[in-house]
Amino acid sequence: MHSRSPQPRGRRAFLRRLGLTAAGAALTPALLQACGQGDGGGASGGGGGGGGGGKELVLSTFPLYIDADAPGAPGSVARFQKETGINLRYLEDVNDVRQFFARIQPQLAAGRPLSQDLVVLTGWMAERLIQLGWVEPLPLAEVPNARNLIPTLRNPSWDPQGRFTLPWQSGIAGIAYNIKATGRELTSVNDLFDPALKGKVSALLEMRDTMGLLMLADGKDITKPTWEAAQPSFAQLEKARRDGQIRRFTGNDYQNDLLAGNLAACIGWSGDVAQLALEQPDLRFLVPETGGVLWADVMLMPKGAPNRAAAATWMNWVYEPAEAARIAAAVQYISPVEGVQQILAKDPATQALAENPLMFPDAAMQKRLHSFGPLSAKEEERWEARFAEITEG
Amino acid sequence: MRRARRQPWRRWWPWALLAPGLLWLIGLYGLPLLALVPLSLSEPVSRFGLETVFTFHWSNYREVLQSHGPILLRSFGYALLATGIGLVLAYPLALAIRFRGGRWQPLLIGLVVLPSLSSYLVRAISWTSLLGDSGPVLALVHRLGLSGLLTTLGVLQDGRLLNTPASVILGLTTNLLPFLLLPLVVALQRIDKRLLEAAADLHAGPLRCFTQVVWPLSRPGLVAGLLLSLIPAAGDVVNPQFLGGPNQRMIANTIENLLLVQLQAPRAAALTLVLMALISLAVVLQLRGRGLEELPLP
Repeated sequence: MHSRSPQPRGRRAFLRRLGLTAAGAALTPALLQACGQGDGGGASGGGGGGGGGGKELVLSTFPLYIDADAPGAPGSVARFQKETGINLRYLEDVNDVRQFFARIQPQLAAGRPLSQDLVVLTGWMAERLIQLGWVEPLPLAEVPNARNLIPTLRNPSWDPQGRFTLPWQSGIAGIAYNIKATGRELTSVNDLFDPALKGKVSALLEMRDTMGLLMLADGKDITKPTWEAAQPSFAQLEKARRDGQIRRFTGNDYQNDLLAGNLAACIGWSGDVAQLALEQPDLRFLVPETGGVLWADVMLMPKGAPNRAAAATWMNWVYEPAEAARIAAAVQYISPVEGVQQILAKDPATQALAENPLMFPDAAMQKRLHSFGPLSAKEEERWEARFAEITEG
Repeated sequence: MRRARRQPWRRWWPWALLAPGLLWLIGLYGLPLLALVPLSLSEPVSRFGLETVFTFHWSNYREVLQSHGPILLRSFGYALLATGIGLVLAYPLALAIRFRGGRWQPLLIGLVVLPSLSSYLVRAISWTSLLGDSGPVLALVHRLGLSGLLTTLGVLQDGRLLNTPASVILGLTTNLLPFLLLPLVVALQRIDKRLLEAAADLHAGPLRCFTQVVWPLSRPGLVAGLLLSLIPAAGDVVNPQFLGGPNQRMIANTIENLLLVQLQAPRAAALTLVLMALISLAVVLQLRGRGLEELPLP
């Protein structure tokens, strides 16, 4: 859930590297801003400061998380600007939600608005911001298409009444592997710990995904995570790291390693792997029988967002099933908009996507998917510290 | 009369020249650094707030040293190794450029500096392609039949080069090389060639000429090179991130994680100050008994 990277094939490798580069480049300003405690506009990395006019919209999101412009076929951002006349500054500057939080924290804590009107963040981070009172209720009266939201995401744990957030996409954390490198089909989380794959396995820095998958394999209920229940999984992960079984902990960059043959198997995200498989047909994605972790990235309005009306227009626009279908076809995650599956099924070019259970989970898949439940601030601190002990050596 | 009027200006103009640099250093470096001291002795008021209270919380230091002591050692170990390897590479190169470079000297120096003109980050990412499990470097190692030897030496781990200590040290060394080389070349250029002729006249062989003339005279360049390379290497964040694995993290990665992920600013401050103290100690040790004016710092 750090970053997604949907891209048309031709430019994929290059853009992915670029995304990766941006991830690193974002590091230094993030550090500086965090140290400086509160100056400058929040929308760094994407250009100048925000304007106050009603026809402008500033949005921060993960890189490569929307359909891009193609020759003769403008992407969603370009079409939205043309159709609505709103000047959308679409900033792909969220690479790691935790680092993004560190960046916006000084301003929001000081009661100063960011220059962003909308931010796309992962559900658990949205919950943190909501609890801190740093999020505006959404102007849902001006977003009639919000009624197209699929029922399973209407009352999420991070925003039970759905007042503050609208999902952007959701997806599944599971196991990605290269069948040529593993030499066999993988069937369970335990396969990641197979000595034959030593040094060829990576796990995600997104704690809830990595720990969620391991805890599910350990038979634990991750919808109500407890410190005690997590101990065997922490120990398992720590041992695997010490033994050199786990080569790296990654964000989005596991994709490069998977394609380059540095990894045989890893914990990854469903949509990424669906896209990568177009380039590397030996890639597989497994949602283990013990369970996969279902997550969602959501749009929210930070406190004091200046352009509410434009933000409502954008949300309404992307919740139009036809538009949502274009985005879903490009990113191949689970679209939160009802009617997308039918639209994709009608077009022969996208028919196969409509039948993909990773994009449209059927009843059997639904049963395997579990969302990681909330952690209190105190608990989270303890979990993060323990997780960092493992990932940071 | 005239003299008396001109004197205040004479007294003040060096300060006027120094002022911009001094103000810059004090305002943007000195004061923020000073602010880290009380922060490192504070406790956060809440998990996600920015406020901290100053409580003389010494245990921040104890905790970071306890938890991250081994990573500190590793960071200095890697930095020392990278600097050592860099010196072994840079010294003969500097000698060749100085004494055999002739009119090509500027070009040769330019070639060494050339890679530094590309982004630091891009270079690290490029190494991941070269050193990867299916990359050209490993293929060459296998073709030359060196894998057994390199595994024994600990360079290869589980048959791979990427995400090992060796790849991190290699990345660090590549970045350091120009910083080691340039002061060395400058120091060597200061050596009067007639001294070598004199040594030869006094029947000193090439080895003696090197150990008694060239080496002592090049030492200021060595010290400057060490200063310029050891400090950034110990605090590097990019190479361990891209070329290392979880067992090769360096101290700057830990500071970043404490600050941006765990939101533990006081502990991050404590660790930063510990790192700075250790680096300062290393600098003092290197400079002991040596006047700064000797150093051919750029």
